[in-house]
Amino acid sequence: MDERPHKAHRPAQSGAKAEKKAKGKEKQKGFNEKAFAPKSGRRAERQGRRNVERDQTRLHVPLVNRTPDDTPPPVIVAVVGPPGVGKTTLLKSLVRRYTKQTLNDVKGPITVVSGKNKRLTFIECNNDLSSMIDIGKIADLVLLTIDGSFGFEMETFEFLNVLQSHGFPKVIGVLTHLDLIKKAATLRATKKALKKRFWTEIYQGAKLFYLSGVLNGRYPDTEILNLSRFISVMKFRPLIFRNTHPYLLADRLEDLTPRETIRASNGKTDRTITLYGYLRGTNYRSGMSVHVPGVGDLRVKSVEVLGDPCPLPTEESEKRRRLSEKRKLVVHAPMSDVGGVTYDKDAVWINVPGSFTRGNADVPQGEGEQMVLDLQDAGETLDDAVAKSQIRLFGSSSRPITVTPGEDDDSEVGYDDEEGSELEDDEEGSELDEDEDGEGSGVEDVDGEEWAEDEEGQPHDRGRSGPRRGMRTIGSLPSVDPKRGDVEYAESDSDMGELDGDAAQRRVTFADEKVDFEAEDEDRVSGEEREEEGVPRWKENLSMQAAKEFSSRRKQSKDWMKLIYATSLSSEAILRDEPSQSPSDNGQDEERGDDEELFTIKTKSALVGDVEDMDMTKERVNEEELKRWEDEELLENLRRCFITGGAQGDEDAGAGGEGDDGYEDLEGGDFEDLEATGNSGEPDEGDPEAKKAVELAKKKELLKRKFDEQYDDPESAKMDFYEEKKDEMARQLQLNKEEFEGVDAASRALVEGYRPGTYVRLELADVPCEFVEHFDPHYPIVVGGLLPSEERFGYVQVRIKRHRWYAKTLKTNDPLILSVGWRRFQTVPIYSLDDHSIRMRMLKYTPEHMHCYATFYGPVSAPNTGFCAFNSLSSHVAGFRVSATGVVLDIDRSVKIVKKLKLTGVPYKIFKNTAFIRNMFNTSLEVAKFEGANVKTVSGIRGQIKKALSKPEGAFRATFEDKVLMSDLVFLRAWYSIQPRKFYNPVTSLLLSDKSHWIGMRLTGEVRRVQGLHAPINADSTYKPVERPARRFNTLKIPRKLQANLPYASKPKLMKPQHKQTYMQKRAVVFEPEEKKAIALLQQIRALRKDQVARRKEKQGERKKARKKKAEKEESRKVEKDREKRKEVMRIAGIKSKRETEREEGGGSRKRRKT
Amino acid sequence: MALSGTALHFSTHQYLRHRLVLSVLSGKPVKIDKIRPEDKNPGLRDYEVSLLRLLEKVTNGTVIEISYTGTAVLLKPGVISGGSVIHECPPSRSIGYFLEAVIMLAPFAKSPFQLTLRGITTDDRDLSVDLIRTVTLPHLQLFGVSDGLELRIKKRGSPPGGGGEIQFLCPIVKQVKTLNFVDQGKIKRIRGIAHAVRVSPQFSNRMIEASRSVLNRYIPDIYLYSDVYKGQESGKSPGYALSLLAESTTGALHCSEAVSQPGVAPEDIALIATRSLLSEIQKGGCVDGKHQSLVLLMMVLGSEDVGRCRMGEPTPRTIQFLRDVKEFFGTSFKIVPANPSEPTSGGLLFSCYGTGYMNINRSIA
Repeated sequence: MDERPHKAHRPAQSGAKAEKKAKGKEKQKGFNEKAFAPKSGRRAERQGRRNVERDQTRLHVPLVNRTPDDTPPPVIVAVVGPPGVGKTTLLKSLVRRYTKQTLNDVKGPITVVSGKNKRLTFIECNNDLSSMIDIGKIADLVLLTIDGSFGFEMETFEFLNVLQSHGFPKVIGVLTHLDLIKKAATLRATKKALKKRFWTEIYQGAKLFYLSGVLNGRYPDTEILNLSRFISVMKFRPLIFRNTHPYLLADRLEDLTPRETIRASNGKTDRTITLYGYLRGTNYRSGMSVHVPGVGDLRVKSVEVLGDPCPLPTEESEKRRRLSEKRKLVVHAPMSDVGGVTYDKDAVWINVPGSFTRGNADVPQGEGEQMVLDLQDAGETLDDAVAKSQIRLFGSSSRPITVTPGEDDDSEVGYDDEEGSELEDDEEGSELDEDEDGEGSGVEDVDGEEWAEDEEGQPHDRGRSGPRRGMRTIGSLPSVDPKRGDVEYAESDSDMGELDGDAAQRRVTFADEKVDFEAEDEDRVSGEEREEEGVPRWKENLSMQAAKEFSSRRKQSKDWMKLIYATSLSSEAILRDEPSQSPSDNGQDEERGDDEELFTIKTKSALVGDVEDMDMTKERVNEEELKRWEDEELLENLRRCFITGGAQGDEDAGAGGEGDDGYEDLEGGDFEDLEATGNSGEPDEGDPEAKKAVELAKKKELLKRKFDEQYDDPESAKMDFYEEKKDEMARQLQLNKEEFEGVDAASRALVEGYRPGTYVRLELADVPCEFVEHFDPHYPIVVGGLLPSEERFGYVQVRIKRHRWYAKTLKTNDPLILSVGWRRFQTVPIYSLDDHSIRMRMLKYTPEHMHCYATFYGPVSAPNTGFCAFNSLSSHVAGFRVSATGVVLDIDRSVKIVKKLKLTGVPYKIFKNTAFIRNMFNTSLEVAKFEGANVKTVSGIRGQIKKALSKPEGAFRATFEDKVLMSDLVFLRAWYSIQPRKFYNPVTSLLLSDKSHWIGMRLTGEVRRVQGLHAPINADSTYKPVERPARRFNTLKIPRKLQANLPYASKPKLMKPQHKQTYMQKRAVVFEPEEKKAIALLQQIRALRKDQVARRKEKQGERKKARKKKAEKEESRKVEKDREKRKEVMRIAGIKSKRETEREEGGGSRKRRKT
Repeated sequence: MALSGTALHFSTHQYLRHRLVLSVLSGKPVKIDKIRPEDKNPGLRDYEVSLLRLLEKVTNGTVIEISYTGTAVLLKPGVISGGSVIHECPPSRSIGYFLEAVIMLAPFAKSPFQLTLRGITTDDRDLSVDLIRTVTLPHLQLFGVSDGLELRIKKRGSPPGGGGEIQFLCPIVKQVKTLNFVDQGKIKRIRGIAHAVRVSPQFSNRMIEASRSVLNRYIPDIYLYSDVYKGQESGKSPGYALSLLAESTTGALHCSEAVSQPGVAPEDIALIATRSLLSEIQKGGCVDGKHQSLVLLMMVLGSEDVGRCRMGEPTPRTIQFLRDVKEFFGTSFKIVPANPSEPTSGGLLFSCYGTGYMNINRSIA
């Protein structure tokens, strides 16, 4: 590497050359147009085309990015690679770079702040294929670590294939262990080769990083800095699947199941757990169920938004160009030991350094130490604090609330209590729940108040997140008090208090006015059931109060949202504005009452009742009401709604005043225009003239601008399709952002769900206990939201192609593990091909180098979703594990796959073109089903089934296009439809204690192999020698009469065999004496020759033998030499390895030196 | 581990139709009980059973269980298959009853719909086929369901005999477009169809005259067509009706209709139709009261963007529909007065965040 530096160039300072240079420089000032002008028309054309093509490469299908850009969720950076490649070292180095902290134990996701508006979540992926699949589905950026000294490994390629089928996130390659390559030339060659391979796998020019060696247990700081710069400038294109599903990477797990339940069931009860993490993807709607890969489909009990544990820098720190040092230190990694604190599933572990004494202020304290110190500060027990605390519901309440022990607290509180008592360290227990409270509310509060908030706030919260149903509906009560609805309404009003500003206001006044009801209020709080049975005193008053409240509010406007979603008033009652008028006003009982009571008295309203019975779209016309349209004034009044009546009314749309003109304008005007007119409507109602003038001016301004734009640059005015689409999306995003800007968090969550980027706590119910018991933070927990359609099951048809690196073909009805959407499951597919668009024909095996269809039973996922398939997830499998990839095509509840079925029969009686066939069917009923079907003989004569014969059951008459032979087989080609087996087996790898050894359904052969059994032998299937009796063909006999009439060419020309000897056979040969002599001589010569050859051969054999002997000798000597050599090599290697082990044993922690 | 086994639970026969439709669209099983338990004739009516049969025909894999008494129904929806379907509607309800439900499903089918319905084409309870053709279908066009959307009225059939026939063609879409319809505009044209079967053709002309007498004062752009079906195409019973529609500059449609009643002059029928059109216009909004639920449904099924629409006051059906939509899709609407300055008038602004509903039934390749 260290080559001698070249001699630096010294430009000439004087002389001709210097002058020329100076002149040249002068010339080159500015942009030389000529230099880039094409010389010829052809070149101009080429250049133009190239430019256009280059422009086109810039274009991608515009996709909407659904993650909010103000507080985006942290980018998930996954570090993936085979074991021992340096993943943990890389992760530690990166965390160190961002937070200046060194982690000892890297477990679970680690979130850090990396820039002014960027956070990163690092996660290390272990070598388990299931983890790789899960990580591949959520990672935004993959740092693919590759051992430079070894090269690519199978896992790397498997991972890349998994990525490919689930939308390709960004990948940066990181080459490590490059210091092991000593020679510079080898290093260069290795780098080049690896880069080439990497580029073919990903794309030409994919970024590959080289990390040279390890210093102090980390990679060199400059290299890590460079890598972090690359990470920070990375732009991410939204991936379609993630842009349609909410998901979460859990960074903390907590078991909320009451200890007692667990104990009682020996730890086998289903658990209630909470998972913490940042929401990603799209908005999470309440009520959406989720899938946790490796566990299964789970129901989310509640979602709680928590304070951001790793917040982005705020406004005031943003004034600085760089991220402040303080911000840099923010790291959130509950599963790792940041600051000596580790959050486990049911405990918080605090590691303190060896000498831990109080009052040692000069030693910097970690988070954990601070926690312990705070705990030691506690003066009184929790019980005391609760007893002392005074909670009053209203500001004017005279008595505080007392907590009676009989009241059932919510589960979390109860759990905490027990937790505290169960742990031998009392302090740690209370610490735990203090910590929880802090996390939950984000505000440090006095303990007691916190408790109270919990009590009151919990049901209220739950009501918000789940669909509000049946808790206290009016409909559930058999006889409804007329005022009852009122009361309910008022209560739910206060429940939904945060919906808008004036509602909250109302609540305050409500509380103020009823000072005298204070005592009763407490009753209500402490015993909810009481109000169901007896009618408490305060009730009538309250309802009156509420009615008053209601009427005063009515004057303003209706809050439709609240009325519709938060009350259980019937729709008629909502419309009538009065919560309840008549006793039978709400619910469905009303109609019945109406019908019975009013039918005889008032025909009209009875009719109304009848109408509602019918579920009809058109409302019954009320002719009385229509009478009002006889009024001339009213008719005139409506003119404002027509384009002809613009002069009078202009409250909503400003246009229309000038008849056609205005109308045209309005049609042409787009979104901005709308806004403009909307604004113009608002400001002043004072002077219509002035207003008109202002409007006119505005319109003129707009027109002028438009004209200017078009006149100056007609090209820019009209956007191309791409620009238009992008503009449209931007506008829609803007609208999305603005629509719910001012709405408070609770109702915003109700309408649009929880937005990505928020840190939430998901409470999951009925989680298998093994998930908690065998929890291992090294395995990622992904929570993927399911769309309603994805919870259903059905037959899924996919296009599939066996992976070219997978060694075997895939067989129909063999179990296959698929990774589709969030799920990983085992199922049994049936492969098929489209047969001339007529039928779907089953294939026994997947074709080579070709796509085919596969149909399986399983959870539905949207068409166009990619998937990959595996035959085994086990790490013991040699060879490539991704067995197939493909895409979902179709979803249905039934399948139409057929396989060929050939029925054969034999003729037993033949007429001219008709034959009786048997042995094809067993009954005449079967024949009847196939009447008219086409049959064919082996020799190719086509025919048709006519009718069943009565005598041998199942025989039938068939006609053929020619006479068939008795020896011919007749067969019928039919299609037999088959159904895929309804087998769905989710890969529940996270429930195992040994997570990488999941075993699904096995093949029969595998089971037999394990049990040491042989395949059963079917006697009919064994091969036997085929016995074919020789066929005798009768001679062709042509009647003499016919023969006589035949032309000569057609006559049979068979002749008798010759009996007489021919001349050649019967002649006698006599030699002349000379001839005899010549023959004798020749014989002698031949004999001599023969002898000579034999002797020569003998000699040759001897020579060969000698040579062979010699060669053998040589060979044996060579082998001996070789053995010696090998022995020597092994000896040296043995010494080397021995030394190495000695060195490692001696200095285990010593790091590899950079060479 | 599948969670789909839990059925949503509803009671009473009311709003049966849109609950079934929502169930099929969302794929959630639904159980409806207490269907007319106290009635003289308890349980499902023949038209409701017919609707269930129709749903079974247009879907694949749907399981419908009706209890022995007919007072409870369990629907486990399959996939919407579409294709060509023929259905005989019972004479107790008009074609509109069935068609309204099918229209909500049709864009999300596996293959384009070719539905033939036979029965009563116009009655006073459900939207007539004329209104569906001229008003409902344009509402679907707002959401990008347009190419090949057609309703052919082959034969007309008046109650009680019926005998009409229509053919409904609907294309399929991948996803409906997000609606942003807040400008109600001003009425620029009025159209109408006066039809008469098995009565004097003069009746339709008389209706047109009467209607024009009221409407002529507003705008000149009024065309009322007289549509008389004769012979085989005129069904089994006599009848006539007038359906009107007003279109605004921004494409908002308001409609009304009146059907012949025994003993009422055609002029009076026309006046009823005209006046209810006026009151419909007066209610304001960009969407007609009869189509609120259709538009709201399509907004919910839109992409994950904010859709906005201005409407008049919600009808009782709409209110229940909104609640049911929340049950099925978990989506609730933000409903605020369109004009914050004067909340009582000017209509309401419904906005919601679409669920990103994709037509997963549609097969690719």
